[in-house]
Amino acid sequence: MSDSQMDNLIVAILEGDSEESVSLAADLSRRGFTSKQIVIHGVEAAMSALDAKCTLEEFNLLEIMLAGRAVMEVVKFLHPAGTPMAGRKGTVVIATLEGDVHDLGKSILKMVLTGKGYHVVDCGKDCPMQKLIEVTEIELPLAIGISGLITPVIPLVKQVKDVLILRGLGRVKVMAGGAALKQSSSGNLNVDFVAESAFDSLRYLDEISGGVR
Amino acid sequence: MNSLERVAATIQFRETDRVPVIAQVFGHAAAVAGVALDDYVRDGETLARCQLNALKRYGYDSVFAVMDVHVETEAVGSVLRYRRNQYPVVERYALSRDGEWDTLALPDPQHSGRMPEMLKALGILRRELGDEVLVVGCVLGPFTLATQLLGLETALYLAIDDSPQLERLMDFATEIIIRFGLAQLWAGAHLPLVFDPSASPAVVPPKFFREFALPRLQRVFQAFSGAGAAANWLHIAGPSGAILPYYRKAGVDIANFDYAVSAAEARSQLPTTCLNGNIKSVAFIEGSPADIEAESVNLLRAFRDRGGFILSSGCEIPPESVPENVAALVTTARSLR
Repeated sequence: MSDSQMDNLIVAILEGDSEESVSLAADLSRRGFTSKQIVIHGVEAAMSALDAKCTLEEFNLLEIMLAGRAVMEVVKFLHPAGTPMAGRKGTVVIATLEGDVHDLGKSILKMVLTGKGYHVVDCGKDCPMQKLIEVTEIELPLAIGISGLITPVIPLVKQVKDVLILRGLGRVKVMAGGAALKQSSSGNLNVDFVAESAFDSLRYLDEISGGVR
Repeated sequence: MNSLERVAATIQFRETDRVPVIAQVFGHAAAVAGVALDDYVRDGETLARCQLNALKRYGYDSVFAVMDVHVETEAVGSVLRYRRNQYPVVERYALSRDGEWDTLALPDPQHSGRMPEMLKALGILRRELGDEVLVVGCVLGPFTLATQLLGLETALYLAIDDSPQLERLMDFATEIIIRFGLAQLWAGAHLPLVFDPSASPAVVPPKFFREFALPRLQRVFQAFSGAGAAANWLHIAGPSGAILPYYRKAGVDIANFDYAVSAAEARSQLPTTCLNGNIKSVAFIEGSPADIEAESVNLLRAFRDRGGFILSSGCEIPPESVPENVAALVTTARSLR
């Protein structure tokens, strides 16, 4: 789909201009584009462009947060409270585990995954294992994403897969990321995937979900 | 050659009896002493005793009076939650984006929060060690302190939405850092390490570092040099390769580099600056002494023809690290000449 206003929306999101992004999405909507079309050809296209830009060297939180804020505003405009956007690609449960109160990395993951069509259930920061498992039992997600900035959460991260298996949820994949966890390996953390960045998690999810729309 | 002389000679690329080794042992000193981290970060005397015990146990070249990254922000008014065996976390930041900033008062290092305890720790360490071992204090970098006063997310959005306001906050942070750093020097530190994780290219683009952080780091380091600091040491973890070229301009004498930057890249970006690094922090938890030894040997070889290198971890050696791994780092440096 080629439309100059859609292209402008992509640029506005990449520049982190929330106001302009929402205004362009509103125009597109008035011109008859469906919310799904705006998300797929505007929001998701912007996130793909950002992904391409965010090589390991160029990735920085500031740029991602700004684009992510614009994405969330557009999504909020297209799907106001009460009309939640169903994740077309599946559900992902995310958390930082008990003892870790840093949630910026998790918020970035939420913005990136939401922008690319996943339904994200956020268990919050400092999340007890019990809560994470209960939410997983209810949501039956494709995967759980655990973000960790500090090393003391590593022993807890190692338990997640085993607890899931015990509860009959062994098919739910476990992803780990964040400054502390990404220094480790999937074997050492007992998880299915260790992500270098939020986009790395996205690629893994697209792989296991088949990127189904 | 004692530790202080060894480090001083290394900074100037002079010959030494061996490569200095500085394990970034902060809370790990409490762990090996069987002391709760909560007590360690709140009591200067406990901190100093644990550091001295760890020095005796491992035999590296430096001790640190480092509590955690919240000392300054607590002194300004942030409310912390202390936890028994973990570093404290911020419950409520001192400042809010819509709050009144015109009446901000600079904290007094002799009275505010835990600053006096940190000064006490430095005094004990310097009294005990004199000029034998490098005694290191710690301040945050101006941008990192701004993020600690406001919260990282809020500070980052402020950088874009109202950069003059962020600059005002960073100027206030710079004043705190200089005041606290000078107090540390007067209390006995040979130098205050400037710890600036939020200025990492993982968080903000290099352009932001150049325009916002660099001029303020210059002021900080000028003030420390003027007060007789043994050297200016900047610690920015993560993929710092793109900002290393600015370090000389900032006045840095020792540049920390983390595992995300290779020894070759660090050397090429800072050919005439002393470097310290860069073994992964998590390797001290998950690795074996043989792993640490192998990493150390690789690093020592990478700098053998150049000098100006301090063997170290890339960031903090986590409190729960395996002591044998810390010992392996030190033993390797001490055994290779």
